[in-house]
Amino acid sequence: MSIPAGYAGNVLIITLDDQKIDILPIDKFWDTYGINPRLWLGGDGLITKILWEDFSNAVEPFSPENEIIIATGPWTATAAPQSGRSMLGCIDPKTGGFGSGSFGWFFPSMLKYAGFDIVIIKGKAKRPIYVFIDDRKVVFKDASHIWGKETGETVRMIREELGERYEGEIRVLSTSVAGEHLVKYSPPCSDGTSCPGRTGAGAVMGSKNLKAIAVRGTGEIPLNDPRGLLDSSYRAVKTFVENEPMIKLWREHGATTSLGTAMDWPISGAMLAENRKEADFPHLKNVGCLDCPNPCYHWLQIKDGKYSGLRHLGGHMTFLTVCLRNLGIQEFGEWIHYERLLQELGLDPASFSMAYSWAVECFERGILTLDDTDGIALKRGDSDLICELARRIAYRQGKLGNLLADGVAEASQKIGKGSESIAPHVKGKEYIQRDVKVQALMWSLGALTSPRGGDWLRHHNVWELAFMPGKRDAYPKFVGKTCAEIYQDSLKLLDMPEELKKKIFGDSGKVDMEWISGTKGKALFSVWTENLVALFNSLVTCMFGSATMFLMVGFGPTTYSDILNKITGWDTTYDELMKIGERVFNLQRLFNYRLKGWDYKNDTFADKRAYEPAQMGIFKGKVVPWNEVLREYYSIRGWSERGLPTMEKLKKLQIEDLAEGLEEKMEGGD
Amino acid sequence: MDEEKVIVFDPHDCTGCMYCMTACSTYNNGATSLSKSRIHIVRHEGHAITKITDEDDLIFDVITCQQCDQPYCLYLCPALAVERNDDTGALIINHDKCVGCRMCMVGCPFAAILYDLDKKQTVKCELCGGDPQCVRFCASGALQFLPKNLAHLPKRDRLARKMIQLRIRPIEEKPF
Repeated sequence: MSIPAGYAGNVLIITLDDQKIDILPIDKFWDTYGINPRLWLGGDGLITKILWEDFSNAVEPFSPENEIIIATGPWTATAAPQSGRSMLGCIDPKTGGFGSGSFGWFFPSMLKYAGFDIVIIKGKAKRPIYVFIDDRKVVFKDASHIWGKETGETVRMIREELGERYEGEIRVLSTSVAGEHLVKYSPPCSDGTSCPGRTGAGAVMGSKNLKAIAVRGTGEIPLNDPRGLLDSSYRAVKTFVENEPMIKLWREHGATTSLGTAMDWPISGAMLAENRKEADFPHLKNVGCLDCPNPCYHWLQIKDGKYSGLRHLGGHMTFLTVCLRNLGIQEFGEWIHYERLLQELGLDPASFSMAYSWAVECFERGILTLDDTDGIALKRGDSDLICELARRIAYRQGKLGNLLADGVAEASQKIGKGSESIAPHVKGKEYIQRDVKVQALMWSLGALTSPRGGDWLRHHNVWELAFMPGKRDAYPKFVGKTCAEIYQDSLKLLDMPEELKKKIFGDSGKVDMEWISGTKGKALFSVWTENLVALFNSLVTCMFGSATMFLMVGFGPTTYSDILNKITGWDTTYDELMKIGERVFNLQRLFNYRLKGWDYKNDTFADKRAYEPAQMGIFKGKVVPWNEVLREYYSIRGWSERGLPTMEKLKKLQIEDLAEGLEEKMEGGD
Repeated sequence: MDEEKVIVFDPHDCTGCMYCMTACSTYNNGATSLSKSRIHIVRHEGHAITKITDEDDLIFDVITCQQCDQPYCLYLCPALAVERNDDTGALIINHDKCVGCRMCMVGCPFAAILYDLDKKQTVKCELCGGDPQCVRFCASGALQFLPKNLAHLPKRDRLARKMIQLRIRPIEEKPF
């Protein structure tokens, strides 16, 4: 097999035990793993396939057997829009199942310029080390003096030690104190900026005594049709910037856009609206990863208050929502300080805030006592207390720090007393909603079906709640349209076959309150979105540019195939690419089944309140029909009633051979 | 010749995405890289390398050929390989003549000329034949392609607006 254009061409396999390095041409590697690149692309596709081949039985996530896989894709580091992303995968320490996350800034592109598409890290080092990839030369460095340092200092020390010739030449993916202390939701961080936040891979790095990976790349990425790529990319970006209904606000306000102004989150809409007013941020500029036309980072500066003078690159939506809703932090400066602190310590804001919020609830109900909390009276809204607890968790100090460092699923099992039935997680991983039934139906469904547990980023479809008519119309007024007009325009622009649109939105082709508050077409739209997410995570490009995920329209499979064809010289089509997404998603489901036995029984919220009537939101007074929608979802996916891919489906996806030996078990009853 | 246009950069608008660099290398080399781009974004990412309590800053600036009217590169080239394109006004290196002595690099006050290891010659921004790709792909508008005599306009406009903002504040808040 020859290597298509768009790939850097090599795979780096690092065995930490004996500091061994293997560099394989990627086509040889593909052969070994039975990978046809056109079926799996890169990123999440390759991670899924590699994990599938390497792990047929469950492993202890912190054992040396676990692997860290950094996989870029053919899209990465080329002149295609939003090409600064990569995926990072491992066996997730929280769920024990499939784990992967997307991260960016400039580490992924630098890795590819160094000549590597994939890095696989195995084993465990005897003492703390870090790895330096200097183009094709790979060396191990002692990290005992960096062990215990927080993110920013780690990056600075490593860059100084390796001798950057200019700033930003060397890019560092590092773990922080939380990872070293094996906090199960500690992500690694790329240059103190971008984290595969929900992987827990920082803790896996910690368990391997691997402090960081540094990379310097000076090479180039071969392209099939460079000028054609530029033309296609230019067209795509121009259409995107001119037509995307939410782009105007996004380019001013980055990733908080879809929540703060456009979306009506019923639980605390007023609060968000208010917050936005003042937090039309004291930001100096928006900043993005490689080749990004709609950057999401804010360069923020706190002007007054306790944290006056603090500067921070961030302002991300997860932090905003968890701060407001779960932690009760209202003051802008405190919010920014919290975001920066979590990045420095290496904690996932979603899991941390849910753990904290759950602990507060347990404390209020008397399930946790002052003895369990080391004498701390837990409450929401006290940012000093929250930051103190974040530090205790990161260092696993005290009873409470240790308890919450394992996340709500394990913690609730440990303490019992009914705390399990108020623990906000699915399959052991926290979601960021205190109350899923008042959230959009598709959003919550995504948390149920996500391959990495209770997680929303594999299906964050904004169509259900963006510009909810009659609720909030600030944004429509801002762009001089009505909600209905915006929906109508978006529907026209959405890159989806007409017959599918009809199936989802009905023959009238309208998105109205009836559609929004019903269940019609939602399972189908969810399936489509999840496949799309698996697709762009395999390319790899960014969710903030993709259709339906955070923006209404964004880039769709047509754009992806047009640009991918210019990069690689293939002749992929819309359907072929969507099928890749579907294949990857199905194998992730199958992987979790083989490893953990997860089926329909695990597609449930641990928090039993999800199954009670909702007090507000689109299902006010009603019980959300989770099971009905799930059944519809399984049948659309071509899965059995147990929620597992059928052989027929796998055959269509050309992966039936992978299920050999599982067939009988899958078709059997419970 | 039409009016000579040059690449103008305003750091205020730059989002640091470096699309200018990937577009440049893709167009001119047929492969994407940062190292071979003829325009270079200089970065200072304070937040990435400091402790939470440290002061830091985030700055992007650009280095590329200014297409000087009195070009040192042209004067210093012993092979007479640096020429000015009459259509675009760009200074270009004639690779039939270039001997790879790097005197142009020595002369350039902006370090805007690179040495290409494969060609064993120097390369520089030649304005992509009049349609500079860096400007084409700059979504933020930080890079613009303007006639030399109007190169000051974007920045002046921005500063003027800032001054207007200051003046329309209530009288007791006026700083001057």
